[in-house]
Amino acid sequence: MNTTAVHVLDILLIISLLSLAAAALLTSDARRSVILFMAFGLVLAVAWGRLHAPDVALAEAAIGAGLSGALLLAALREQPRRALSGDAKPVRERERERTSIDVTLQLTVTLLCVAVAALLVWALAEAFDRGPQDTLAQAVSETLAASGVSNPVTAILLNFRAYDTLLELAVLLTAVLGILALGPARPGYQAAGPVFDSLVRWLVPVLILTAGYLLWVGAHAPGGAFQAGATLAAAAVVLRLAGHRTAGLPAGQTLHLVIAAGVGMFLLVGLSLLVLGRPFLGYPPAWAGGLILLIESAAMLAIAATLVLAFLGGRPQPAAGLSGEKRQC
Amino acid sequence: MLTAQWLYAMTGCLIVALGLRTALLHAVLLHRLIGVNVMGAGVFLMLIAVAYRGPGVAPDPVPHALVLTGIVVAVSATALVLALARRLTGEQDNG
Amino acid sequence: MADTLIWLVAIPLAGSIATLLLPRQATALVYVAAVATTAVAGTLLYGVGSQGPVSYEIGGWTAGLGIALRADGLSALLLMMSTLVVLAGSVYASAYFSKAAERARFWPLWLLLWTSLNALLLSGDLFNLYVTLELLGLSAVALASLGGTLAAVQAALRYLLVGLLGSMMFLAGVSLIYAGYGTLDLATLARAVEAGPVAWTALALMTAGLLLKTALFPLHFWLPPAHASAPAPVSAVLSALVVKAAFYLVLRLWLDTFADLVTPAAANLLGILGAGAILWGSWRALRTERLKLLAAYSTVAQLGYLFLFFPVLQALPPGPARDAALGGLVILALTHGFAKAGLFLAIGIIQQRSGHDRIRELDGTAQRLPASTFAIALAGVALIGLPPSGAFLGKWQLLAGSFASGQWLWILVTMAGSLLAAAYMFRVLGHAFGHQPYPQRPVTVAREEWPALILTSLAVAGLGLAGAPIWGLLEGST
Repeated sequence: MNTTAVHVLDILLIISLLSLAAAALLTSDARRSVILFMAFGLVLAVAWGRLHAPDVALAEAAIGAGLSGALLLAALREQPRRALSGDAKPVRERERERTSIDVTLQLTVTLLCVAVAALLVWALAEAFDRGPQDTLAQAVSETLAASGVSNPVTAILLNFRAYDTLLELAVLLTAVLGILALGPARPGYQAAGPVFDSLVRWLVPVLILTAGYLLWVGAHAPGGAFQAGATLAAAAVVLRLAGHRTAGLPAGQTLHLVIAAGVGMFLLVGLSLLVLGRPFLGYPPAWAGGLILLIESAAMLAIAATLVLAFLGGRPQPAAGLSGEKRQC
Repeated sequence: MLTAQWLYAMTGCLIVALGLRTALLHAVLLHRLIGVNVMGAGVFLMLIAVAYRGPGVAPDPVPHALVLTGIVVAVSATALVLALARRLTGEQDNG
Repeated sequence: MADTLIWLVAIPLAGSIATLLLPRQATALVYVAAVATTAVAGTLLYGVGSQGPVSYEIGGWTAGLGIALRADGLSALLLMMSTLVVLAGSVYASAYFSKAAERARFWPLWLLLWTSLNALLLSGDLFNLYVTLELLGLSAVALASLGGTLAAVQAALRYLLVGLLGSMMFLAGVSLIYAGYGTLDLATLARAVEAGPVAWTALALMTAGLLLKTALFPLHFWLPPAHASAPAPVSAVLSALVVKAAFYLVLRLWLDTFADLVTPAAANLLGILGAGAILWGSWRALRTERLKLLAAYSTVAQLGYLFLFFPVLQALPPGPARDAALGGLVILALTHGFAKAGLFLAIGIIQQRSGHDRIRELDGTAQRLPASTFAIALAGVALIGLPPSGAFLGKWQLLAGSFASGQWLWILVTMAGSLLAAAYMFRVLGHAFGHQPYPQRPVTVAREEWPALILTSLAVAGLGLAGAPIWGLLEGST
């Protein structure tokens, strides 16, 4: 057990984490809750920087706090309060039902949650008593040279546990197909004014360049396909906010090609190796770096397109004339 | 013995419980969704604290990779929840 | 031989991408993928039967550093069952969804669901299991919402949130395991795990999350609306396979990885919840007005029987009696899978043809759709547990095990559940066999009716006869 001193910074971080989480969960105003949740995510990113997890900090800031927050805000903006209740009953009726069972239920669930927290603390106390479990970390550092990259997190995500990442990309694909199946997106925003337009003109290329850099640097430093994809998605979101209806997304089957690119490229590489007599996703060490970059590039495009489609809430509608047309039920 | 690792791990446990409570109790979908997300963040915090090995020592990269995967999975699920909720409003408005 | 494991995941996944990119050829592509996967699953089953358990290290990395896929008798049997159900469901769906646009939305998600089922049954790694659970949950929800009605979307939304909560609890348990044991590989963990706070809490959290996903009473509240409002082929796989995948994981963790930690009290708790599920689910099935809801409540009840086996297995010492009980459990699970899938498919045809699924208004269905009505009757035989269905063998073993370990309560519950099942199935059949004679061909809509007939016949005749080989396959697994 490492006896690390606790800094004032730690105390501050922990207090703000707990109070932001509690505030986000306890406020009854949905908008405030979302904003507090985003703030919580940003502080969490700082905490992860503090705990020497820069890859995670980057991803949390971009995806966890940034995009989740953007999605939640986008959902809020277009929907009145009633909409997100997830229940067809009128609010008043539901509240009447609730009050009768309220007190007992709240008490029971709260006790249950206290018990869960206590169990977790009890278990972690035993885990820390057992000392750090370093077998895997050692295996990773010993095998890192054969992985094709020098950033251990990228080595795990794209090589040692690449299968997890393949299925994770399948999860993203599933989510986006589920969203697309629900119908087309709502119409876009008004065209931007001249000031915002010029901002867009330099912001978008900068974001695209940053995405490329993050992808490239992921091989040996914090970064990688997910952070890069999120940045690319941010560029598209900026385009959309500026009034570009499609947010730079391709139309028709090409869009399908892009959202399937991550899983597709992964499978293509994995199965080609299998056919060539190697294990599935067992890259030859000399080729590993190149193959990983190839997969990550495809994954970045798929991730970006998926996140943008999630933000838009469906396939962007091609022409202004169609925007008023509701989906048929 | 008060260490930074221990402190962050305990914070993670508390955040899990806070998120779980809202996810189970709250009447409004959006709050339940945020509850699940906060609960996930608590689990991730536990994992990253477990990976921490003190200043100047390289942390265990495995939990970092797991959390990165977890973050992406969580955002996918959040996006699908919100899309379904949006469809629900559309239906209610139409009929 | 070991390669079959990765192909079982790769073929449906590749098929999903192919159907997305080539929507016009999608149906043909699905048939190719389905037939190929079935052939590979058959090879695996045969291989496991002749050579014992198989494992495959992905990327060539040793399990622990990398991820291993594993199959033993239990996973190979469940995989074969799920493959046959999905194959039949695919044939059915190609006719059920009449519009090309509907099929274009359906196929990629359908194959993603199949990918996740196979990946879950084969995974040997705890964190990878978390990812497969999320893939399974999201694809199931996306498919369930395809019905497009308000009820379907609402049920899907609740299903998704419950599923997410379950996954998060599972992940919290996985994190504790990593903190305590520094491994995610199930086999390594099984050797290292010892009684203590880490193992207990982790097992409790993972089990709680999985029980939520498998809809064990009283955590079943989300299942009936979700299963009843989905399109028929989706309902079939949700009820037959998706909840069973979570059950399989509970079984795997309790009987395999954490076997030494399980106490009789914990097993009894699962048994009591199972008993509650049988009685409550059967009662609700008897009282409901709609055929699809009846089938969904029946799933709640049938899952209860599977959980009754936990206290029985816990009480029996290792030996032939315990092996027989385990075999009974697997046969019961397989029978329910085939029978319930067939039942939902047959109900789907009736619902499409008559525009509703109200039980009171089913009169004359036997004359208009004789094959589908027959399929419902066969499913009834299996759900009640009459001979020669596999469920008869399964329940027989449950009774024998309860008798041998002196657990009378489970015997009473099993009897009561079977009587209730007979009551709700005969209520349906009583209405279906009305009095209007419509002389017509026995099979009226072949592509949709055959899958239901074949699945229910498998449940009634196939598994009843396949008892001995199944026991043989399970030897040495768990």
